[in-house]
Amino acid sequence: MYGIFVLFSLGAVIGLFTRGHKNNVYFTYIPAIIASFLTIVLSFLILFSEPIQVNLFNILHLFNFEILIDGVSAFFLFLIGLISFAVSIYSLSYSKKLDDKKNNSSLGLFFNIFIISMILVIISNDVFFFLIFWELMSLISFFLVIFEHENKNNVNSGLTYLVMTHFGTGVIFLSFLLLYSHTGSFSFDSFRDIGLVPQHIKDIVFVLVFVGFGTKAGIVPLHIWLPKAHPSAPSNVSALMSAVMLKIPIYGIIRYLFDFNSIDTQDYVWWGIGMMVVGSISALVGVLYALIENDIKRALAFSSIENIGIIFIGLGLSVVFASFNLMSLSIISFVAAMFHTLNHSIFKGLLFMAAGSIHYSTHTTNIDDLGGLIKKMPWTALMFLVGSIAITGLPPLNGFISEWLTFQSLISIFQIPSSIFQVVLAFTILVFALTIGLVVATFVKLFGIAFLSNGQSSKVTDATEVPRFMLVGKSILALLCVLFGILPFIGLNFIVQAFDLSYIPLNPFEPISIKNTSGDNFASLMMPAAIIIFISVFAGVFVFVRIIGGKTKTTKYGTWDCGFGSSSERTRYTATSLTEPIRRIFGVFYKPRDNIEHEFYSEENKYLKKTSSVYSITRNIFDELLYEKVTMSCLSVLDKIRRIHTGKINAYILYIMITLLALLAFTGFGING
Amino acid sequence: MDNLPSLEHILGIIQVIFIIAFSPLIVGLMRKIKAKSQKRVGFGIFQTYYDILKLFRKEEMVSDQSSWIFRITPWVNFVSAISAGFFIPVFFVHSPFGVVGDVLLVVGFFGIGRFFMMLAGLDTGSSFGGLGSSREMMISMLIEPALFMTLFVIAGFYGGTNISTIVSSAHETSFLAVPGILFALIAFFVLMMAETGKLPFDNPSTHLELTMIHEAMILEYSGRSLALIEWSNAIKQMILFTLFINIFIPWYIAEQISFIGIIFGIITFILKVTVLGSLIAFIETNVAKWRLFRISDLVAMAIASSMIGMIFFFL
Repeated sequence: MYGIFVLFSLGAVIGLFTRGHKNNVYFTYIPAIIASFLTIVLSFLILFSEPIQVNLFNILHLFNFEILIDGVSAFFLFLIGLISFAVSIYSLSYSKKLDDKKNNSSLGLFFNIFIISMILVIISNDVFFFLIFWELMSLISFFLVIFEHENKNNVNSGLTYLVMTHFGTGVIFLSFLLLYSHTGSFSFDSFRDIGLVPQHIKDIVFVLVFVGFGTKAGIVPLHIWLPKAHPSAPSNVSALMSAVMLKIPIYGIIRYLFDFNSIDTQDYVWWGIGMMVVGSISALVGVLYALIENDIKRALAFSSIENIGIIFIGLGLSVVFASFNLMSLSIISFVAAMFHTLNHSIFKGLLFMAAGSIHYSTHTTNIDDLGGLIKKMPWTALMFLVGSIAITGLPPLNGFISEWLTFQSLISIFQIPSSIFQVVLAFTILVFALTIGLVVATFVKLFGIAFLSNGQSSKVTDATEVPRFMLVGKSILALLCVLFGILPFIGLNFIVQAFDLSYIPLNPFEPISIKNTSGDNFASLMMPAAIIIFISVFAGVFVFVRIIGGKTKTTKYGTWDCGFGSSSERTRYTATSLTEPIRRIFGVFYKPRDNIEHEFYSEENKYLKKTSSVYSITRNIFDELLYEKVTMSCLSVLDKIRRIHTGKINAYILYIMITLLALLAFTGFGING
Repeated sequence: MDNLPSLEHILGIIQVIFIIAFSPLIVGLMRKIKAKSQKRVGFGIFQTYYDILKLFRKEEMVSDQSSWIFRITPWVNFVSAISAGFFIPVFFVHSPFGVVGDVLLVVGFFGIGRFFMMLAGLDTGSSFGGLGSSREMMISMLIEPALFMTLFVIAGFYGGTNISTIVSSAHETSFLAVPGILFALIAFFVLMMAETGKLPFDNPSTHLELTMIHEAMILEYSGRSLALIEWSNAIKQMILFTLFINIFIPWYIAEQISFIGIIFGIITFILKVTVLGSLIAFIETNVAKWRLFRISDLVAMAIASSMIGMIFFFL
């Protein structure tokens, strides 16, 4: 286990010392590859043996650095290991892009430390060190976000990220302090006896935990940093941030919900409902913004918000079921949420790496500048297609399985013995379904506009397929998408094993089935068999068509242009025009503004137009309505505070005096009281 | 599961072949009825078969700007439509493939076909294709909530999302006894019209920029690919009709394997599907195409209807 840390550090340090060396990237990332592989091995070792608990050192009995790797940690360790394994391989080539202009070694340094800090957060068993590593993770990722700091926008988004993440950390800190005040110890072990804590404190802590971790996970309306920070970072880091870092807060919430608490009474229902409501809103808002976004990385970042929303729907549902003592349903929705966590890591890592490849070859991430990349970068296109199908939740890839499970657990809400909750929860189905529909639209747009059709801009015509290592990194994740899709029992059994759920592991040739209370089969799904059907139908159809159709000729010719001669770049559908109908339907939300400007040949004669141009903008209601107001009021309060900073030394001495007196009075009363 | 194909497996495969073979006939029949009610003579009802056969032997033109996405889309569409057919009981309730997948897998198979279709529309670089994809995107996004809500109501009432389960319990209770199902029926009917591109939503028999949705996406297809697409649409329509019939009016569907029961099941099924097809053709002659942005009102009606069904279910 220590080998992992040694290797990551080695990667970081060697990378730093060999700056400028020709093979710098290999020194940096090869240790990272080996270490991530070891992380995967470690997580498997823990799954099939005992949890590891090590007490490393102990200062004053208060700051006790203890490592605990149980199944829950092992699951998240697996996520970190898997994604960093693929991303590190990808980085071998990707970071060469920066060779000439940037200091690669510092990227490697931060990259390695970032992974270490995430692993440390997962395995620490003590509030103090948990928060230290949490903070380390946030700061390192801040440096990664502003890595390309020549661009003013990146610095700006980095600062937004810094502020928001510290808001989150602050809230988490508060929640832990509140728990500490009741348990008297900073160790997570003491939090596990949370039964001593009164219910109302637990409720407050839940809200704080949810808000604090939720900020980091990007729930709406605290998501504001996410679509700014993720696209600003170099793509290999965006992949890590979106695929792994967003899952660390999920880990925190799971620890609080299911490890520290045991949910068994109806006092907890509103926790679940709250998570579901926030999750639904996040899912819908995330995907609505992803849909109209023309920057591929920003769209992917918004789609991360949506997926986090879906994960929270599953988790919330699990809490609701558990509080009504419907344990088998609770387990199914928990498995759905965790499987979606796993899947989202895989396909979002893949998609971000593919977006990075596009940027690598074309130096742009705006899809309107692209088009026809499928001919220039066939492998990247294939990987992006796999990622898109997976994320839209279509069979036969992994996204379908987790969304199937989520929907099945949503359907099962009719078993809750309370009609009010049933009706409320049923609305989640509407939101969930609408989200799925919008995701399809989003990814048709991203793939269709960027990769298909013909692109004539120089960015596209000069594009070439990316180097080997980048393809290898992506294909690992793409293969996993397929694997978890057609053989879902692997993922499900893994989750069941990791979280020690009382759910019978599946056999490979057994359908995933959901039973209702009377034990009848409610739903079942057997993906391997469905795939066999699909493939045999394909073979059958192919032979059939050959027999009745015989051999036919295929001619290549230009697209039909209505006889007007070559269809040009300008007649192509753009990303904005493709989503125009949806933009119009959700006009209330987007508040689109279209400005049409005409230029005339002469001002007297307004019939002959020289040019017409249309500008269409959509507004971000969260920025305008919430954050601007909050920022403005913060600034005005701070302005008032500034007045006491007069700059005169006498005034400051007076302040010190007043504070001293106040403190004396306070302690005096304290003793007397 | 025994390794030898049992009688049930054979019946299951016969049902799929039945759907595949019978589907162009329904298309032909509906066209004929539409023509008759518009005082036209119309083609014979077997014309669809001749068309498909002819197209299979024709030379194919492929746009030089398109990629392999364009080439594989008809195959993906056709194969996914047929694969979806495996999970649908037609005239015999217990399809042995029923346990493999449920109604959500059917929706998923349709979804993957549509996903590729929208990509193919964009692939040729023609603005017609983009236009079709854009509108298809909008409609598919809109009907999704209504569809899932309706499925929720049906699954709740009939105790399962496996179609065999739904159909066998629907067979035992009449929908007239449960008002919630009646509302689900209304919603499902609207969705069926939208999914198969029927008239207030789409008019596949015109080639007008203003109206076309589905036709715009497949404008560039010819020859074998076009045949596959036309046929897969027919199959998709047939599957939706079958679902509608067997969920809402499953009377006389065969429960056990008996020669008479199955023959009776087939005959009643053909009757029901003919009546349903005629009804839809009749509706189509009586309504005009709605403006694109009014479609959302119609879908909202479907959503509202399924929501009422949901509330009935919880009461």
